[in-house]
Amino acid sequence: MLSCKEVAQRASAMIDGELGAWDMLQMRMHLAMCKGCERFIGQMRITRGLTEAAGEAEAEQDADDLRISAILSELHEGKQTGG
Amino acid sequence: MRESKRQDRDAEAALLRMLASGDRAAFEAIYRKHNAAMVRFATGILRSRASAEEVTQDAWVSVLKNIGGFEGRSSLAGWIFTIVLNKARTRAGRDGRSVSFDGAGEDDNLAAAFDGRGRWKDMPELWEEITAERIIAGRSVLHHVTAAIETLPPAQRSVLVLRGQQGLEADEVCAILGITEGNMRVLLHRARLTVRAAVDGLA
Repeated sequence: MLSCKEVAQRASAMIDGELGAWDMLQMRMHLAMCKGCERFIGQMRITRGLTEAAGEAEAEQDADDLRISAILSELHEGKQTGG
Repeated sequence: MRESKRQDRDAEAALLRMLASGDRAAFEAIYRKHNAAMVRFATGILRSRASAEEVTQDAWVSVLKNIGGFEGRSSLAGWIFTIVLNKARTRAGRDGRSVSFDGAGEDDNLAAAFDGRGRWKDMPELWEEITAERIIAGRSVLHHVTAAIETLPPAQRSVLVLRGQQGLEADEVCAILGITEGNMRVLLHRARLTVRAAVDGLA
């Protein structure tokens, strides 16, 4: 039987679908009986989702015409002078 | 899964052709997708947002200049982040620092959460109220998440950005950072634990 500490250590591997069948079975057995670990795994799933969402939210706010133009003009200058 | 991967590759090939032909809309799309993450990744390495923005801009120029030579051995995102890392390494080297992602000595924050028999000392909370849209102390939960990511050590932060936010494949993240898959999983897990603790503080 896994301890709560061992379940917590395997939490990311579990939610990422990277556990083998035997490890997964052991996790399921523990989670069926342990509310604390069940909550913890739920928190880790939410954390994974929030991390993705935070990246997407930042990307959406990040379209700066000035910087895009600066990159393109640097590129063209380089082509003209660099040959 | 296999079908969607093939579609991804086809879409990427079309995007590459447009980028190589100098299409501004194609560049804007890819810029929007990766720029913020590139800056976040480089800031973790350089510990300076201003330097990271310069390095990122430099990396974009390289990407566009060399796009014709991109051979598709990695994903486009993997190739872009490799260029960012090389630029950041050069910059760090000029400042007399070296860059490594082994993450040795970094600990996770759950060590004190368990008793001697490995059981929770305090039962984890049920996060019923936590949603991406929720506002806490004048900022959305996502801003608190971003702030927590910015406190992470470079190796954890790099893995979280590449794997957890930009969705790069595990083997690609390992190749870029020069770490083993086992090491990457540990770093990803520790990074998530830190973000989890920050969100738990809001619950």
